[in-house]
Amino acid sequence: MKTRQGTDTPVVGSVDTLKIKVVEHPFSFRDSPDEHLTALIVTAINHMGGVGEHAEEAYQRALAALRDHVDAVVKTVAAEYSRVPENQYLDRWSLVQLFAELPHPSALATLERILASDIPPERSKDPHGHSTVGEEVMIRTTAVDALARLHAAKIVEAGRILLRYAEHPTFSIRRACVQAVMETGSPDEQKNLQKILQKRGETSLLEIRRRDVREVPQATGGRFIVRDDRKNEPPSPGLKGRPAI
Amino acid sequence: MASCTYTVPDKSASGDNFYGAVICNQIYIDYFWNTYGFSGNKAYWDDGWGWDDCCNTNKALGRAFNACYLLTYSASDYANDSWSSPILNWGRRLVRENIDDLRSKCGDGSAIARSFSGGLVEVYLGFFYSKDVPGRAETLVHESRHQDGQAHNANFPTGSVFGAGKSGADSTWGYEGAWMYGALYLWWFYAAGARTTSALRDRARQRGNLVIDNAFATHPGFSI
Repeated sequence: MKTRQGTDTPVVGSVDTLKIKVVEHPFSFRDSPDEHLTALIVTAINHMGGVGEHAEEAYQRALAALRDHVDAVVKTVAAEYSRVPENQYLDRWSLVQLFAELPHPSALATLERILASDIPPERSKDPHGHSTVGEEVMIRTTAVDALARLHAAKIVEAGRILLRYAEHPTFSIRRACVQAVMETGSPDEQKNLQKILQKRGETSLLEIRRRDVREVPQATGGRFIVRDDRKNEPPSPGLKGRPAI
Repeated sequence: MASCTYTVPDKSASGDNFYGAVICNQIYIDYFWNTYGFSGNKAYWDDGWGWDDCCNTNKALGRAFNACYLLTYSASDYANDSWSSPILNWGRRLVRENIDDLRSKCGDGSAIARSFSGGLVEVYLGFFYSKDVPGRAETLVHESRHQDGQAHNANFPTGSVFGAGKSGADSTWGYEGAWMYGALYLWWFYAAGARTTSALRDRARQRGNLVIDNAFATHPGFSI
């Protein structure tokens, strides 16, 4: 039996139509002969978007399966990153997120390449709603996260890269590098960073700190009167569905 | 009438595969349909958008329902949607009280959503296929804030990825505009989101920081 909604108001005039084409997954893994390994990578990326009481557990299990082959995983993911088309922003981000989840020195060169790569011009006609430059920036700030984790694990080279890109032309990337050095860097690295920022006239970046959400001003909800018919309570979150498509 | 096409990867990090198994229950479908502004709009969700196939999260309606599930259940104490609780709790209430006419359209291929007077919000192709599930929930919160009466009041700052110098920014965090609501929702999802993964929470942090860094004329002075 198909699940369904109740019948609804017909519309006078015409509405838009949509056709979709489904592909199995967004990656090609050309030149990666180990199908078992690429299947494990696809599984881990798929579990990034998990939901439910055991979602994190399943995701961590999928990552654990990759940790046994981390060298090969880094190599395969790095090769794949360079092949994924520019406009598959979420897919590219998911590969970089794997570098952050599986910190390994062999990822340094790829992470630096990502930060060094030029950000393509804005492709969106409406960047207020969806900015492709914004997507590119999130990919790079996630690369900064991966470097910060490596630096926290005492990989000195990661600190060098973070210091270098504290001068990146894009504000969010500079801000992320500055925070990473201040949080994971040695006293010498922090002094070097301060010198760089003084030279650039940007010491104000040091004032932007990561905060707990409970410490910042909150939004004030409920400024309008609530209609009675909108006060309905939701069902429990754990009801069983049937297998989805 | 416009006709649009899209290629959807079946396995990706967007979150849609797993949410699909959860939302596919008539109780949820009825609840989301009647609560978040779909009701009365069958015509806009038919013709390929998923009305007759709403468990299929490759289709638009299933993807919108995924955002509704996240919006409804991401607080561990989801039943408490009092205004004195965090926005993670009352984000769903903000949306259900402000959007009563939610329609899908093709848009220009990259547009996400637009708010019109009287509780009407249109969501476009980019909403379903460019945004991950938390990003879609953020969009509904953002548009609800516009419906709630707060328009943008400033130009984007120098270097902003959203269009430096153009209108559409909020002046400050304290203005409590749509950008602040969206970023705060993502921040809470990162800090306390339930029934999700650390990866999606990290993704919410990245997006929240992007908004904080780029959507306020005066930078709020903090990060997630």
